[in-house]
Amino acid sequence: MLRKEVNDLLTQTDNGTAMGAMFRSYWIPALLASELPEDDCPPVRVKLLGERLIAFRDSKGRYGLMDEFCAHRGVSLWFGRNEEGGLRCPYHGWKYDHTGQCVEVPSEPEESGFCGKIKLKGYPLIKVGDVLWTHMGDKETRPPEPTWEFATVPAEQTFTSKRWQECNWLQAMEGGIDSSHVSFLHSGSLNSDPLFKGAKGNKYNQADKKPVFEVSESDGGLYIGARRMAEEGHYYWRITPWIMPSFTMVPPRGDHPMHGHFWVPIDDENCWAWSFDYHPTRALTTEERQAMVDGYGVHNKYVPGSFRPLQNKDNDYLMDRDAQRRGDTYSGIWGIAMQDASLQESMGPIVDRTKENLVSTDNGIIMARHRLRKAAVALRDKGEMPPGRVPEHQLVRSAARVLPPEENFADAMKDDLRVRTGVKQTSV
Amino acid sequence: METVRPTLLSSCAKAATAAEARFRVPYPNALTRASRIFALDAGAAEAMFAITEDPWNGAHFLTVGGASQIDPDATGVDDLPLSAPDGRAVLLSAEIKGADVVVMLASSDTRIGAAEVIAREAYERKIMLAGLVLADGLSKSSVDRIVAALRPYASVLVVASENDFIPAMLTALRA
Repeated sequence: MLRKEVNDLLTQTDNGTAMGAMFRSYWIPALLASELPEDDCPPVRVKLLGERLIAFRDSKGRYGLMDEFCAHRGVSLWFGRNEEGGLRCPYHGWKYDHTGQCVEVPSEPEESGFCGKIKLKGYPLIKVGDVLWTHMGDKETRPPEPTWEFATVPAEQTFTSKRWQECNWLQAMEGGIDSSHVSFLHSGSLNSDPLFKGAKGNKYNQADKKPVFEVSESDGGLYIGARRMAEEGHYYWRITPWIMPSFTMVPPRGDHPMHGHFWVPIDDENCWAWSFDYHPTRALTTEERQAMVDGYGVHNKYVPGSFRPLQNKDNDYLMDRDAQRRGDTYSGIWGIAMQDASLQESMGPIVDRTKENLVSTDNGIIMARHRLRKAAVALRDKGEMPPGRVPEHQLVRSAARVLPPEENFADAMKDDLRVRTGVKQTSV
Repeated sequence: METVRPTLLSSCAKAATAAEARFRVPYPNALTRASRIFALDAGAAEAMFAITEDPWNGAHFLTVGGASQIDPDATGVDDLPLSAPDGRAVLLSAEIKGADVVVMLASSDTRIGAAEVIAREAYERKIMLAGLVLADGLSKSSVDRIVAALRPYASVLVVASENDFIPAMLTALRA
């Protein structure tokens, strides 16, 4: 249970809100780099943290992210002409550079300097890996550029997708740190999904549906350890790192690529679910990459030409009761990503947490909310920058391992949970 | 089997809208829980007493007393020295009967034997047991010792760096 005022604090991210300020203190994923594939390509509408923006790539390859609407008469610059180093409004020809600075007002004498007084709100947009990242906060407190491993390994080792999720970011993110649902909701997919199946760890997952949890704080967020029985009294540990505000990684399985998510608010009732797969030491195989494109693992299929999942609330997520009865899928919904999204969207746009009945195994979620609330309030009231902004916090991995019962995962797996260049993930 | 397609907005997944949310039934969906919070040592008791006056949903806050280590093998269910916040002595058997949630607070490993007694009784009654390690001011080695000692008994073990997680956790659990 969460009191309404705390639920409001955590779920509201528009400009001027505490959690909005917190999100604005990070570099967050804004677009896939492939959405702006070449210089002077068509601009793209972007909505982030309740702000309607336009992204474009100018003639010199510079990325821009700024207010979507022309300062003159409020026309959407999505209709604009991306040409000669700027984005020109088609209505009266006002032109803006990649920072949002107006550089031309054709109706006014150039000598008047009028255009110098016009500037749209603009944010930096940088390419790291397959992703274009933005920082929507103050320049004075801008953190170092992102160093997440999935975005910094060579291109042939990584794959990133994004999908529109029609609910608040927090309930989506909480699914990413809720390890206990895997044995139920995803149980069918552990046997069939090409990016999950075949790992020895899957057997432990399926044999022990009552994992024991250990939650401990890390500098950047949390480690959530789920412990299941293995052979000879040993424990099978799966460790999920959560880094503030919304980065999670799924513990790996066998030599499958590692995967995880970023959850980024579009507005209070929609978010982007960013999903990535990467292998720290080898290129993704053709089969793995194709499986990701085809919507397996943490990825999904799309309504053609959009980032909306093919399975969505308008078609009941293509519920298949026969598959549910056969046990091919536990919920009747195809695909791991949409198994999660369908249930999280069913909660409503912003779940009413005053009505929930959490149990002890939800302590990872409870602690994450606690840390988010404290960090947001500390930023709002004292100007303290939250965790998760610096490379030391971002260079983490998930891990899975079988340990003797007396070993503490935090010690035994300390190195496994850090990025080690050239060393593969620790997995079972 | 022929699939019947939904005909009303509220009969399909599209109902997950803010407008439809107001039609969710307003009735309570759970009975009041019986939560039992055990402070295993003096430091944990001090942290616990800081919040016992808050409005709770009937949670019982209990302190394990006694001067030294408790030998679980020699301690029967009602031999555990337990007291309520007003100093009144209480019996573990009476407290744990009908409990839904048991939370053990620990800031040292001095009375871990009590954890085994409580866990034994909770296990027999199939009650979920959580351990909360209060790490504020403790060295890493001390925290590790407490975690290792509690691990066999807790279904969920949380290490909190600050004591303000106690009310956050208990509120979330509707204690």
